[in-house]
Amino acid sequence: MSALESGLCRYVLLTYAHSGDSLRRVLDEISGDEAPFGLFGAAGGYALAARRAMHEFHTGPDTWKHIAVGQRQWARLNPRAILRDRPLTLEDYEAAPFLVEPFRLPDNCLVNDGGRACILTSLERARDLKQPPVTIMGLGQHNPSADLYQPGHLTGPTGAQAAFRQALGMAGITRSDIDACQIYDCFTYTVEITLQDYGFFEPGQGAQWFAGGTIEPGGAMPVNTSGGQLAEAYHMGLTPLTEAVMQLMGRCGARQLGPETATKKPEIILCSDNGGVLQTHACCILRRWTP
Amino acid sequence: MTVPGKPSPRLDADAAPFWEACRSHRLQVQRCTACGQVRWPPAFLCPRCHGRDADWVTCSGKGRVYSFVVYHKAFHPAFEGDVPYVVAIVALDEGPCLVSNIVGCDPSRVHCEMPVQVTWEDRPNRITVPLFRPIDG
Amino acid sequence: MGLKDKYAIVGVGYTPQGKVPARTTLSFHLEACANAIADAGLKPHDVDGLIVYRHFPGPTGERDLTPYLLAQHLGIAPTYAYQDAN
Repeated sequence: MSALESGLCRYVLLTYAHSGDSLRRVLDEISGDEAPFGLFGAAGGYALAARRAMHEFHTGPDTWKHIAVGQRQWARLNPRAILRDRPLTLEDYEAAPFLVEPFRLPDNCLVNDGGRACILTSLERARDLKQPPVTIMGLGQHNPSADLYQPGHLTGPTGAQAAFRQALGMAGITRSDIDACQIYDCFTYTVEITLQDYGFFEPGQGAQWFAGGTIEPGGAMPVNTSGGQLAEAYHMGLTPLTEAVMQLMGRCGARQLGPETATKKPEIILCSDNGGVLQTHACCILRRWTP
Repeated sequence: MTVPGKPSPRLDADAAPFWEACRSHRLQVQRCTACGQVRWPPAFLCPRCHGRDADWVTCSGKGRVYSFVVYHKAFHPAFEGDVPYVVAIVALDEGPCLVSNIVGCDPSRVHCEMPVQVTWEDRPNRITVPLFRPIDG
Repeated sequence: MGLKDKYAIVGVGYTPQGKVPARTTLSFHLEACANAIADAGLKPHDVDGLIVYRHFPGPTGERDLTPYLLAQHLGIAPTYAYQDAN
């Protein structure tokens, strides 16, 4: 954004890609000072956060199963989704094996080949281009940056709380103006803690909030409508961001928010991204531009 | 087939004194000379006051389980014989948290806030690692 | 505040995804970028900024995918190039 704002450039291309084989190897081997103790992969760090959250506000698989199942419902409507043909029920979730307990297999994101890119420009230029512009209403970032050794933020507030406050302030809206969310979902717990920090529910009330299909097609607050990283594909922050853009452009076919999926046609979508083990957080509020 | 050994800790200039003390079964962390903050991991600067001088204090070896996970899959061949094994964040009584293993206890018995005590495991290549076991009773 | 509604996202690029054999990470970057440029109705030389999401450290056996390497293969000379992590 600063590159555009400063006038350095006109069209900025943002890209992510990975070949799954090398991604899996790297994820499995991410192994700083914890490797002598067998803490490998991102799953270990996030599972440590999730376990402490179970202790502090009594979340757990009864919350996470609704996230895994809800996103899989969206994936069934998305021809690109890697798990499109692999439906998941609450019973399937409960019967799935543990990898790094408390996470079962469906709590983990996909590891895949592929890439994703998008282009940013000024609204002025965007008006003359092929696609309907989707503008950035608000941005926020907050980075607790603490390592696993100083674990105060693992159960919230993560950076999400302060980042969201900034983004809402810039956008000049409130949470109730948001029609759908595209949340970085490396693990199911990441979705829970992010939405909890954004204030969609009180700590520990996630199970009730997610139950009954809140985030699914037909639900009151659609979340990760491509299937997300749990069921569509992992492209870091570009999985949520590009899905928000495509939804606001109205180009999502069978999964399009609106009458097609018995949901509200979206004006405003909230996106998130986070890094490390909840050490960094960025959020972005997008809207369908109407002059 | 030879199973590769478990990964070694990073013995860089910041961390070497910690691992050196482990060889004689002492759990040492840095304490800022200026403000007294006890910190981990070891580093050049005190994150609280930016003091540059620190000494090493020996911990009691007692703490509690802040959080833990159970690995049901080995992501590294050296851990295949250990699954299911427990990785924990241990909050030392002195303040800092370490990542380590909980041993001497069935994984299903481990819980958050469980009191634990350091126990030492000597590994090849003159590496000794601090593990933790429940304090009985 | 200053940035509200000043900037827009105007194109998205997809690639095949899942298990896609015999493809490098570089090839996915290039395909996604080319598709995003076409989706926006732009020409490659219109692009003068390039931000490459951080790849995880050391993708074994692959090239270091810097923004400069990508720019070369896209045939562009950006005035702004950056590798971001988050």
